Amino acid sequence: MLLNHSQRGWALASLAIFLTSLVLYVLYAWSDPRGGSAIGLLFGVMGFGFMIFAAALGARKRVPTWRIGRAKSWMRGHLWLGLLALPLILFHGGFHFGGTLTQILMWLLIVTVASGVYGALLQNSIPKKMTADIPLETIYDEISHVRGLLREEADRAIESLCGNLGTVKDSAEEVQRAGGFTALRPIAASAVPLRTSAAVSAGASAAVAPAPEILLLGETESAPLRRFYLEEMRPFLEQPKSRGRRLADEARATSVFAGLRTLLPAAVHNTLGDLEEICDEARQLLRQERLHRWLHGWLLLHIPLSLALILLGAVHAVMALRY
Amino acid sequence: MSVTTTPTGSVEITIDGQALRVPAGTTVFDAARMQGISIPTLCHLQNETPVGVCRLCVVDTGARVLAASCVRPVEPGLKVVTNSEKVVATRKTLLELMMSDHPSPCARQRNSGDCELETLAAAAGVREPRYARRSVSRGHDDSSLSIAVDHDSCILCDRCIRGCDEVRNNFVLGRMGKGYAADIAFDLNSPMGDSTCISCGECMVSCPTGALTNKSVAGTAIAIGPGAEGFEAEDLLTIPVFHGVSGTFLELNRGAIVKRRFHKGELICKEGDFGSTAFFILEGKARVSISSPIAHVKTQGGAQGFFKRLTSTLAPRESDKREEEARDRTIPIDASVDLSYENPVAELGTGDLFGEMTCMTFYPRSATVRAESEVVAYEMLRNVLDIMLKNKTFRAQVDQNYRKRALENHLRGVPMFADLSTDFIEHLKESVELVRFAPGQVIARQGDAADSFYLVRIGFVKISENYPGGELVLAYLSRGDYFGEIGLLGGGARTATCTALDHVEVVRVSGEDFRQMVERFPNVRRGLEAVAEERRSANALRMQMVHSVPIDQFLSQGLMEAQSLLVLDLQNCTRCDACVNACADAHDGITRLVRDGLRFDHYLVATSCRQCRDPLCMVGCPVGSIRRRNSLEVIIEDWCIGCGLCARNCPYGNINLHPFEVMSDDPEHAGRQKATIKQKATSCDLCTHLKEPSCVYACPHDAAHRVDPRKFFAEILAQGALK
Repeated sequence: MLLNHSQRGWALASLAIFLTSLVLYVLYAWSDPRGGSAIGLLFGVMGFGFMIFAAALGARKRVPTWRIGRAKSWMRGHLWLGLLALPLILFHGGFHFGGTLTQILMWLLIVTVASGVYGALLQNSIPKKMTADIPLETIYDEISHVRGLLREEADRAIESLCGNLGTVKDSAEEVQRAGGFTALRPIAASAVPLRTSAAVSAGASAAVAPAPEILLLGETESAPLRRFYLEEMRPFLEQPKSRGRRLADEARATSVFAGLRTLLPAAVHNTLGDLEEICDEARQLLRQERLHRWLHGWLLLHIPLSLALILLGAVHAVMALRY
Repeated sequence: MSVTTTPTGSVEITIDGQALRVPAGTTVFDAARMQGISIPTLCHLQNETPVGVCRLCVVDTGARVLAASCVRPVEPGLKVVTNSEKVVATRKTLLELMMSDHPSPCARQRNSGDCELETLAAAAGVREPRYARRSVSRGHDDSSLSIAVDHDSCILCDRCIRGCDEVRNNFVLGRMGKGYAADIAFDLNSPMGDSTCISCGECMVSCPTGALTNKSVAGTAIAIGPGAEGFEAEDLLTIPVFHGVSGTFLELNRGAIVKRRFHKGELICKEGDFGSTAFFILEGKARVSISSPIAHVKTQGGAQGFFKRLTSTLAPRESDKREEEARDRTIPIDASVDLSYENPVAELGTGDLFGEMTCMTFYPRSATVRAESEVVAYEMLRNVLDIMLKNKTFRAQVDQNYRKRALENHLRGVPMFADLSTDFIEHLKESVELVRFAPGQVIARQGDAADSFYLVRIGFVKISENYPGGELVLAYLSRGDYFGEIGLLGGGARTATCTALDHVEVVRVSGEDFRQMVERFPNVRRGLEAVAEERRSANALRMQMVHSVPIDQFLSQGLMEAQSLLVLDLQNCTRCDACVNACADAHDGITRLVRDGLRFDHYLVATSCRQCRDPLCMVGCPVGSIRRRNSLEVIIEDWCIGCGLCARNCPYGNINLHPFEVMSDDPEHAGRQKATIKQKATSCDLCTHLKEPSCVYACPHDAAHRVDPRKFFAEILAQGALK
């Protein structure tokens, strides 16, 4: 969620709560601040309450259609109240970390809040970066499928120049690369002629790339291209994450294709352009995967810690109040 | 050599040094053949009159110039040399010239490797002709279902023309143009599919190159299982509708027709299944019905309570009348009968043809057909159906059947024709014309004088209007729909262009009959005027929307015509898919939203129905259950059979199939029912039963918004935010 003017209400309310608590704490700190005192307990209850509310966001997401407040309001509450929980708990303990359990709880809280802040910052920056850097972004779960389609399209382009590669094709011939349009289904045989209608909307036309023109090169003439494809490009499309791939780097890939253009006749330069675009899309998908992991990876730390915090916080509350 | 004419009229000649005696009038070509000497030729066939146009059979007769042996009659004492250096060189030059005007390999060479020209050229050692190739293509004609015409491969030998005229006496083929622009032509240069050609195939079997080739239809043979008999070409020729068709052509189509026997209760075809065959009932009765529930998908709940679960149920029109729902009382299907909305069951009998649309255009089956008694039927692929429909007697029989049994229902299926008197219907039955149109053919052009009213019998008709910069598709009309009334009632010109999208058959009511009808039946006039006015206003609204669109790019994507779009701000969106999950949760686990689609700057227009300018989803619906409201939104009528064609056709993946468990008769156990899964097509309903769409409500990052595109993009453009 963007930290922008839309957060003003929550930010001001949180600031007000913080300042009030701070004033209260400053007044109370002159005496011996303890978690078990009335004010200490008040801070503790408020802090733990905010933590529980923040943790409830996960549960809220599981029932998206329940009309119990917009998810974005819950998210704002999660961000600001979760953040407020840290000073309130510090006030609760009088900035003392106490015994083993409370020490663990304090460190859990600090790491959880810190990871949350870190996550919020990532969620503010990475979507912008992803939007700017990856125009051909697709649905994360579809990436491997799109890669397969790219590979098949590249196979077809190469076969139109070099003849049969003897590769196995996984999907229907009709499926063409479609930029970000990965949700498109294979085109039904009956639908194909309709798509040639002049009135077809441009989106649909763009989504159905034309089949490559057949222009077979001689064996000697096509040898550099065939070798490049089989030894370099196809392995890159199959396993783009492997280290040392020249095509994984935009600048090096550009120079590789420039070199190929000098070796091959002008008639095939358009196809080379297509192959270069395919590599570019594969690189974008690789970058998307990387950014996606950054965007959501922190949750692997934040969520378990939050759950542990709530659980141990409840244990601490019960133990403190009972004993 | 001395030569004498014998009393029997034979002459003695010498060919390549061999003396022989042949009847007077024999051509040198035939004489050589009788002697076992082969002379190459392209334009000559034994069963056709020789014309000597290819000149490839030239021989040296000792005259000043070489003579074409196929037209050169023998003369007493004639000395012929068929393979001198001069002759061979001349033939080679001729082959080179022909090859320079012939794509290599042509379709025939590619398919069967027996293009006569290319075979001769290869034998003569002609590889790459020295002469420049034709720079402009002479074109292809793909309009016939059974024969492909490639004018580029044609060498103008005229064998096809002689086959059509002399052998079959059909007189369809001829020559058009002169010199370099000469071509073969059907009738007065009509596309082959629109001409009077009866698809006998003689031209194709006569053609020496790939200019006329048999079209291979997907799956050219029907599987012969129990209860089915195949036909050999000779057997087919005994069936009256195939009289006059070339045996070779039928041989090529062997297996494309079978005779099937169905026992009482046996399934002939099932609704929603994809197929490629049509059936013609020879004997017996069959029951045609729709087994899918006649209801639409309705999502309810949620709005009443915090925790109430949303459920999607099937609701018929009696319990949930929707805005602008069809007033139709009949459901159009791919047979000579329509089904009623209340009880979608009808009977087919001897002489009925069904499955024509499935066969011609591979649309899914529109209904389930089961044998009501012992049924004998021909099942055929479209190349055979095309041949049969070209047979005038068969065609007349099918048309007569339609006029007798279905035309009345069809006419009465139009709500405002329900009040027509029986005598007028009888008059119309006799006077209307049944007209066929090939794919792409214009039925009526915007601006032309209105002279007829049309009722769609088979296929899809595209109704479009031109506007500066493009064409706006106003509607796709299918069986049971009608058009042409606006022009006739207005007494003037056509207001839109109507084009056949596939193989279309229409019932054409002449302007005179139409005028009589509206004069005699004021209710019909009022009804038609109301519909015409409704259509005019809707069209005007659409055109107004198109004209008011500020950006071409959005227009081309169909976005500006949308009433409401789901827009994701990609700078806010963390790709958590909460919107997709919420949509699935709101619709029984079936999401109607895919977080993918068109991008404009940092906005993603997520995949949900965007009411396209050209709604491809509507094309091909076998029961015509998907159409547009006046607001351009898609409405799926109750009789959707869940075949999924609309979902496949939608370029944006915006239509989904929602499965429901329903109880239906168990065909294996009479009187018992069993649970079956039936599907219904659905598209985004904007969660109209809720105050806010679930996807927007569930987005935790304030990234998802439902917007009015014109307002939204106009504001962004005004701010200069959209690059």
